[in-house]
Order: sequence, then C-alpha cells, then structure tokens
Amino acid sequence: MEVGLAMLVGGVATGVFGSLLGLGGGVLIVPLLTLAFGLDLREAVGVSLVCVIVTSGASASVYLQRNVANLRLGMLLELFTATGAVVGGAVAFLLDERLLAGLFAALLAYVAVTMLGRARADRADMPVPDDPDDDVAEAIEAEPAEAGATLDRPIAGPTTATDRLSGPGYTVRNLRLGAVGSVFAGIVSALLGVGGGIVKVPVMHLVMGVPLRVSTATSNLMIGITASTSAIVYLIRGGIDPYVAGPTIVGVFLGATLGSRTAHRVDLRLLRFLFVAVLLYTAFEMARRALGIG
Amino acid sequence: MTASAPRSLESSIGRLLTIGIYVSVGLIAIGTVLLIGSGRSPLDAAPAFDPARLASDLGSLQPVGFLWLGILGVMATPAARVAAALVGFARSGERQMVLVAATILIVIAIGVVTGTAAS
Repeated sequence: MEVGLAMLVGGVATGVFGSLLGLGGGVLIVPLLTLAFGLDLREAVGVSLVCVIVTSGASASVYLQRNVANLRLGMLLELFTATGAVVGGAVAFLLDERLLAGLFAALLAYVAVTMLGRARADRADMPVPDDPDDDVAEAIEAEPAEAGATLDRPIAGPTTATDRLSGPGYTVRNLRLGAVGSVFAGIVSALLGVGGGIVKVPVMHLVMGVPLRVSTATSNLMIGITASTSAIVYLIRGGIDPYVAGPTIVGVFLGATLGSRTAHRVDLRLLRFLFVAVLLYTAFEMARRALGIG
Repeated sequence: MTASAPRSLESSIGRLLTIGIYVSVGLIAIGTVLLIGSGRSPLDAAPAFDPARLASDLGSLQPVGFLWLGILGVMATPAARVAAALVGFARSGERQMVLVAATILIVIAIGVVTGTAAS
C-alpha cells in the first residue's frame, strides 16, 4: 500500500510542477519512475506516454472550445508526428536502454538550460517584450463565436491549402519544414515518453509563423495522437504496466488540475531555479545510468 | 429569445476529449483504489493485457480490469477525436481534411499492425 500511495503522491508532485512550469509531464514522470521506483526505462516511457495523453487531452479540450488551437493545422502535422511515433515506437525496443538513458539525460539538460534562461530573465526583472502574436491569440479568445463560425465552414472563393490552414491574423508558412520537424517530434516522443511539445512549439512558432499561444495550444492537441500512436505500440509489446500506470495517472491528473488552479498564486521565479537544480541532478543520474555507473 | 448557434466542430471535439479523458481517468481511479485497497504493490507483477479477460475482470471487480479499460479509453480518445473530425469535415465538404483525418487513422492502424507483428 505504501508504494501505491508514494506513487500517487509522486504523480501529484510531477503534475503540479509540470502544470506550473508549462511542461507536459513526461520529462518528470520517466525520472520519477526509473530513479525513485527502480522501473525499467522502457516501462517508465510506456506509462509516461499514457500520462501525457491525459494531461494534454484535458488542456487541449479547453483550447479547442476557446478556439485557440488550430484544428486543421494540428491534424495535418499529426499525420507526420504519428508517422514518427510509429517509427520511434518500433526503434525504442531495438535500442540499448543505456543509449535511451543517455538521450533522456541530454533532453533533461536541454530543458534545464532553456528554463535557466527564463529564470535569469525573470530575476533580472527584464520586461518581457510584448509578443505581437499574443494580440492575435487574445483576439481569437475574445471572439470565439466569430472565430468558430469562420473555422466551421469552408472558406468561400479560391483559396490555397495554406490559406485554409492559417488562422485569424497569421499565415502559415514552411509546411515542408514543419512536416519534417513533426516527424522528429514523433520519434522523440516515442523514444523518451514525452509529448514532444519541446520540438513542436518552436517549429510551429519560429519556422511556420504561428503565434506562440496558438502553437502551444495546437501542440497540446497534437500530443494526444502522437503519444497514443506510440502507446499502442508499447501496449502491444507489453511495455505498459497497469499497476504502475494507475496511481501515476491519477496522481498526475490531480496534480495538473491543482497546478493549473494555483499557478497565479505561486512565485514562479524561485520555482524555476529550484526546478533547474532538480533537472540537472536528474540529468546527472540518468547520465550515470547511461554510463553504467548508476 | 434567440435560437442557439450550432456548436462549432472545435467545440464539439473539445467536449468529446473532455468526456473521454474524464471517464477514462475515473475508471483508472476506481482500479487504483481497488489496487491499493487490496494491499497489492504497484511493483508486483501485473497481468498482461488480455482482451478476452477484460469482461470477467470487471465483473469480479478486479483492479486490473478497470485499469486496462481506463488505459484503453485514454489511448482511444485521441483517435475518436480524429474520427469525429473526419465526420465533421465530410459534412462540411472539406475533402482535403477528410483525407488527412483518414490517413491519420490509417497510420495508427499501421502502428497496431507493426506492433503486433514485432511482438
């Protein structure tokens, strides 16, 4: 019973941290299950994928109902993330677990460095430059009826495929690069049990010209298909343990709900520095495992 | 009193996701309570997924039945969302998006086939 409750509490903690810091949760769940509970890395990845579907699905539903997520663009890119996920899911069972641990350590270090940059900006009290894209997203949120009406019917007149994928105030570009990035995101997701938003959001925002908030919302929508495609491969190959999945999923779900409701009351600056330290320590432990000394 | 506007495709799909995730997590929560209540450890060896045993496990209130059904529900919800979008796009005559949605479902099916073949 103690282990079950510990797993539940661990899930709540990862859900809260993930939600407060804008992470899908996979980056935290895999280290929790491997380092704290001694699970095999592939088993942890399988459970993490199911957790990621839960957290992303819950937030994607809100983004869709507020018309922030771009359904058409998301579905087109899902085609490529799902393809990457099938490939990654198959390859994951061929790779040495130490190599997977090494890849995960690199991912953790990357997330830590990214977060450190944000934390430093906060500490220096640097004014965050207004993202002109945010105005677009706010406009979308402010006028859900109009946006919905536009999105729900075919656009009249001669339009290109790109026009149909674009949204109010922005035009999608570089579809090919977006497709390549999406395949890569799918592979990363299937190999490491993460949602892949760490790849998808920059690709959509920086390469394809999609506003940041729309990119984040659309990435959340896509994570469901990406992770479920890989999770199916893990399920069929016996890579998902229902006893471990149960308390972890319930904990992560409760934690993510709690985190989203308390985010405005928490000082994120201190939390980010603390979290960077946790990520770097976890990356170090994963690297030790990769080198066979952990 | 004005007639309510028809629900947008995005809104309908959002509701489908909400229902799918909440029902599935509810089933997993029941399984987790039964698991912890039975004194079993999550680190004990769990029965492998066997569709043929699902109904009997649920009928006899075995935690693993609820856990597997909930996990399957979580995994099926995104695919159900794509299927619902396919129907919505077909109704509004968006052939390209119908093709995209259908191809996503085919890719998922390929995942099932390749996973089964390799296991």
